[in-house]
Amino acid sequence: MKSYLVILITGLSLPLTQLAELRGEVIPPINERFSQETEETPDFQRHLLPMFSKIGCNGRSCHGSFQGRGGFQLSLFGYDFKMDHDGLSERIDTDDPLESYALHKATNVEEHEGGERIKTGSWEYQVFLNWIEAGAKPVEKPFKLERLEVTPNEIVFQSAQDSQSLNVVAVWENGTREDVTPLCRFQSNDTSIAEVSENGEVTAQTAGDSHIVVFYDNGITAVPVIQPVSDRTGKNYPQVATPTRVDELVVEKLRKLGIVPSETSRDEDFLRRVTLDITGTLPTPQQVQDFLADKSTEKRSRKIDELLETPAYAAWWATRFNDITGNNINQLNNVSYNNNKVSEEWYEWVRHRFEQNMPYDKIVEGIVMAESQKSDETYEEYCKRMTEIFNDKSCESFADQDSLPYFWARRNFQKPEDRSIGFAYTFLGIRIQCAQCHKHPFDQWTQEDFVQFQPIFSRTRYSPNGTDRDEYQAMLDKIDVDGNLRGNDLRRELARKLGKGEVVPFPALVDQAPRVNRNNKNSKNSNNIGQTARVLGGEPFDLNDYQNPREPLMKWLRGDAQELFAKSFVNRVWANYFHRGIVEPTDDLSLANPPANEALLNHLAQGFIDHKFDIKWLHREICNSNTYQLSWQPNETNIQDDRNFSRAVPRRIHAEVAMDVIAQATSGSEENAVYLSDLKDRAIAIPGTAQGRGGNNYALTIFGKSSRENNCDCDRSSEPTLLQTLYLNNDSELLSEIDSRKGWLAELAKEWQAPFDAKTEQVDAKPKNYDEVVERFETYLEKLKKQKDFEKIKTVKAKMKSYKARYGQAEENTEVVDAKVDSNIDYTSAINTAYLRTLSRYPTQVELQRSLSAVESADNPVDGMRDIMWALLNTKEFIINH
Amino acid sequence: MAMHKTCDGAKRRDFLKVGALGFAGLSLSQYLNIAQAGGVKSTAKAKSAIFINLPGGPSHMDTFDMKPDAPAEYRGEFNPIDTNVPGIQICEHLPELAKVMDKFVILKGVSHTLAAHQLGSEYVNTGNRPLPSLEFPGYGAVISKERPTVPELPPFVSIPNTSQRPGYLGVQYAPLHTGSTPRAGQSYSVRGLDLRNGLTVSDIERRKNLRGDLDTAFSGFEQQNDLLKGLDRFSQQAYDMVTSPQARNAFDVSKESPEFSQMFGESPFGQSCLLATRLIDSGVRFVSVSTGGWDTHRDGWNNLKTRLLPPLDQGLAALFKGLEMKGLLEETAVLVTGEFGRTPKINNERVGRDHYPRAMFMLMAGGGISGGRVIGASDDKALGPLNEAITPDDVAASYYHALGINHEQEYHTSTGRPVMIVRDGHVINELFT
Repeated sequence: MKSYLVILITGLSLPLTQLAELRGEVIPPINERFSQETEETPDFQRHLLPMFSKIGCNGRSCHGSFQGRGGFQLSLFGYDFKMDHDGLSERIDTDDPLESYALHKATNVEEHEGGERIKTGSWEYQVFLNWIEAGAKPVEKPFKLERLEVTPNEIVFQSAQDSQSLNVVAVWENGTREDVTPLCRFQSNDTSIAEVSENGEVTAQTAGDSHIVVFYDNGITAVPVIQPVSDRTGKNYPQVATPTRVDELVVEKLRKLGIVPSETSRDEDFLRRVTLDITGTLPTPQQVQDFLADKSTEKRSRKIDELLETPAYAAWWATRFNDITGNNINQLNNVSYNNNKVSEEWYEWVRHRFEQNMPYDKIVEGIVMAESQKSDETYEEYCKRMTEIFNDKSCESFADQDSLPYFWARRNFQKPEDRSIGFAYTFLGIRIQCAQCHKHPFDQWTQEDFVQFQPIFSRTRYSPNGTDRDEYQAMLDKIDVDGNLRGNDLRRELARKLGKGEVVPFPALVDQAPRVNRNNKNSKNSNNIGQTARVLGGEPFDLNDYQNPREPLMKWLRGDAQELFAKSFVNRVWANYFHRGIVEPTDDLSLANPPANEALLNHLAQGFIDHKFDIKWLHREICNSNTYQLSWQPNETNIQDDRNFSRAVPRRIHAEVAMDVIAQATSGSEENAVYLSDLKDRAIAIPGTAQGRGGNNYALTIFGKSSRENNCDCDRSSEPTLLQTLYLNNDSELLSEIDSRKGWLAELAKEWQAPFDAKTEQVDAKPKNYDEVVERFETYLEKLKKQKDFEKIKTVKAKMKSYKARYGQAEENTEVVDAKVDSNIDYTSAINTAYLRTLSRYPTQVELQRSLSAVESADNPVDGMRDIMWALLNTKEFIINH
Repeated sequence: MAMHKTCDGAKRRDFLKVGALGFAGLSLSQYLNIAQAGGVKSTAKAKSAIFINLPGGPSHMDTFDMKPDAPAEYRGEFNPIDTNVPGIQICEHLPELAKVMDKFVILKGVSHTLAAHQLGSEYVNTGNRPLPSLEFPGYGAVISKERPTVPELPPFVSIPNTSQRPGYLGVQYAPLHTGSTPRAGQSYSVRGLDLRNGLTVSDIERRKNLRGDLDTAFSGFEQQNDLLKGLDRFSQQAYDMVTSPQARNAFDVSKESPEFSQMFGESPFGQSCLLATRLIDSGVRFVSVSTGGWDTHRDGWNNLKTRLLPPLDQGLAALFKGLEMKGLLEETAVLVTGEFGRTPKINNERVGRDHYPRAMFMLMAGGGISGGRVIGASDDKALGPLNEAITPDDVAASYYHALGINHEQEYHTSTGRPVMIVRDGHVINELFT
């Protein structure tokens, strides 16, 4: 009704439009309305700009370029109404519309590098002309698009070349409905599945599923397109077990696609997969045997429960959460007095919470609402507390704190824009960085959204001088610190004092108080104090209404953004259990990148919310599904499927897990048995990154441990590379693990009373001074013997031995070994164990025979077993989770 | 990485039909394709490149941009000497380089504004001013991507390590770090390549066969899956490298003739240059050599003349000569740089110079760059560029240009952001005239 009045008053509308609006009907498409001369005045936002977008004016290679083109710049992907209008106004002539420069350019009457974009006399021409004739009005107050209604909202094709046209109706907040099909841009997310013309006609290509994405104004809607891959759809679909809701939702889609899921995985495959996924650890040989022997029907769900209670679970998932929150030593300078300690405290804080299964929103609250100095303590009391925490090596007292202020202290998380991007990445799984400079091309966010989001982050800073500069200085004076010390020198001095147990002033997270001088709150100026803010997609509010500027953020995560907040986490957890997320990439939950299975994502997100963000509920919901437990072996309907979870798609195990399982597989029996509970030396429990101050961990780096640098889940990589293969094949680190004296191979040698020296054929040419060096070693040893320094003797002997070994002169075997190994030993059990340790299964008959012959043909059975361990660690089956 | 995904959506669909590996599959198959396609043809002269990094920031005024007439508080204690190119003088402690001045170009008045080691280093190692939100790939990563080499060899080797990272290009373009430098006269190999732990080629072969026998779980499915296919391919490649005389030989500097090796001297830097020459000769595309200690805040001149300049002088002169002797100088682009210069005004208290990015020097040679010239200039106290500054971006553009790589070519980051290889550089045409 309101819009009707506006139209009547302004009197600018045409009967056709007017009538339709009056009747609450859909306004017919613009190409019909403007196919001949008409009195209608098109609207800059609703008609002109979408039309320019559609014909490509504001693309990146044209006037959307930040340098403009031919001196004319439009906002990239539109949506900066003022800039676009200003630029255009200079190039039109409202007195003599037909002589407008821009019109001549677009029609190539005036030579146009972009060629003829608009034909003279076309409806586009008419739209442009009518707008100029009516005075080229700018956007006074932007219309708010409520939604795009696309018909049909899903396309199911039967065969290639079938086609279907899309119709799009824009529904505006004021109730106006207009058929905007000719003004929309259409895009196929996979042109091998379906093509789409610029008029919205979709044509089926090969079988499979994807989406057609429709763009208009800031609206983006994705329409699923499906073409079955087999005739086994609908009624022809076989009976498939769907024991859980997850399975029902997965199979519901598979049924449309004619894809039949794989069989359920074998017990040994399931056990290996679930142990790797939940705990980043391999099952022990004993665990495999027990699991295979267990006849109970609940053994899988019991195993899942059991694994979720292990220390390795909390350690591994804390590491993953540290990835997305960005625990990176290189970014933690000046946060405290020991960067490594900060990183450890951060990690432990998270690990404790995963161990206690604290609800996800509570964990996040501890980060978002983090505080350093508590409201009921003085700065000095805070420093006292921090001093105690600093001196607690276990980091437990830090983990017991309610909050994690370090998240806010990262060097790359200081500017409001960096925080806006990082916050959205970490907690919502969206990429708003595009909107920093222009309208987001794949999401609804405009530059204005971004600009108004930023101020929320501007009042919070991590202050090196604590919460109060004077008190900080007073404390420095009190402990007698040289007033000339600055920067690192000062930090070192304070660290030294801390070591001596003195209380030193600590940096702190500080929130600037709201501006107090607000007498003229209602005057025009109140907006100019820079505190008007808006969460993404929300309504503007005054940040000064909040004592803690971060409060609206947490309120938002639990309010309007809750669904996205839940989805982003659910999706990342899902991706850990499969080869991809339901949305992939996992940190790109944008409108143009719809989930492969929307109902599934909604179910998990809603369930997660309903279960009060119970993380273990989520793990159970996924792991107990038949979908998770499917075999990797494909059938003819699902062999091409890589987005609908109809089989387990093999994936390379994560960097930390790879390092751990190599160590575990080769370790001595006692050590091997406690991998799930003993976190010492485990790569899955490293607090920081592979490249931290502690140095550069080669293996973790090349296997792609997250660098935690770039607000991107792709900081972690599971791609295989040549360097990884070289490492597994031939790196001395790996070879030494097989050959470790504390390892399993050494145990075998002992048991078999067989010689156990790494083979010692000449590798390196003997240096000229070889004899001299050996002599020096010997003289030194003599001297040590006289001094009775037995510790030193041991190390020097070892050094000499390795020197000799390197140049081909092995020490005579010092261990008492009968050169002849008992020929009656049955190697089968050792081979079985080797398989259980690496591949978590027994060998097949063929594999057993091949392995036996390798052992038997070796000079020494231990050498044979060494070859077998090497070979097993180098199978694809080992490094792949399947 | 999602190279196919663009911010304007043109090719985004490619990204969304990724294979079984999800996000990673695309780049793997892409990698395989690139690797299969072999080297890329171009009209540029350079096929390979060497990057000599001098971390710490070497003093420009005490090496290649001397100001003997500057006031005492600027001048420094060294004197210039003539080179084999009339009119060009360099520091008296660089006598060997003075003899080969005709082979390289001195860039003076190179200038930027980042006075911190890490930032400056990122800048000169990538040719892009660092951004907090984006990690740029180092030269070696870009060149490995653009110029794949034979499968037996790693495309990018760093001696002993480098701060060049693959950045947004992804881990497959990471360098192979040697982790150590060769020692004169001794055989040399690198991590994962040499036969350690007493292994012989026949052991490797035996194990490979055994692995072939046992690695059968996925038999028949390899072709359907990029991950399986990729792993098989890498296994073959790793085997080729470990067993191939070519690959192991490439690293073994002891195989060079004594006369040739002697030129380089026995210093770790000289030996690294020897190795770099050998690697390039074997077909490695990009070698970085790093030799630090240039942060001469204290006792600068003493450090320079005793510890720093002599090995640099001998190693670098030998590198230029050695490349030329092997006929490689024309097809190898060499760039030498620290992350900044040092304060022209002497820090008398510490007898040294501090960080100074406004004026610095770089050296370039080979790859169609004719030597024996000075390009650019600093003012009379070496405080800044005399005329227009040369930026690290310009040098980067030129370095890529020598290799036939268009520095304005666009890549796409994992978030779909389009980024030019060098965002803000112009080729210094004078280099190539």
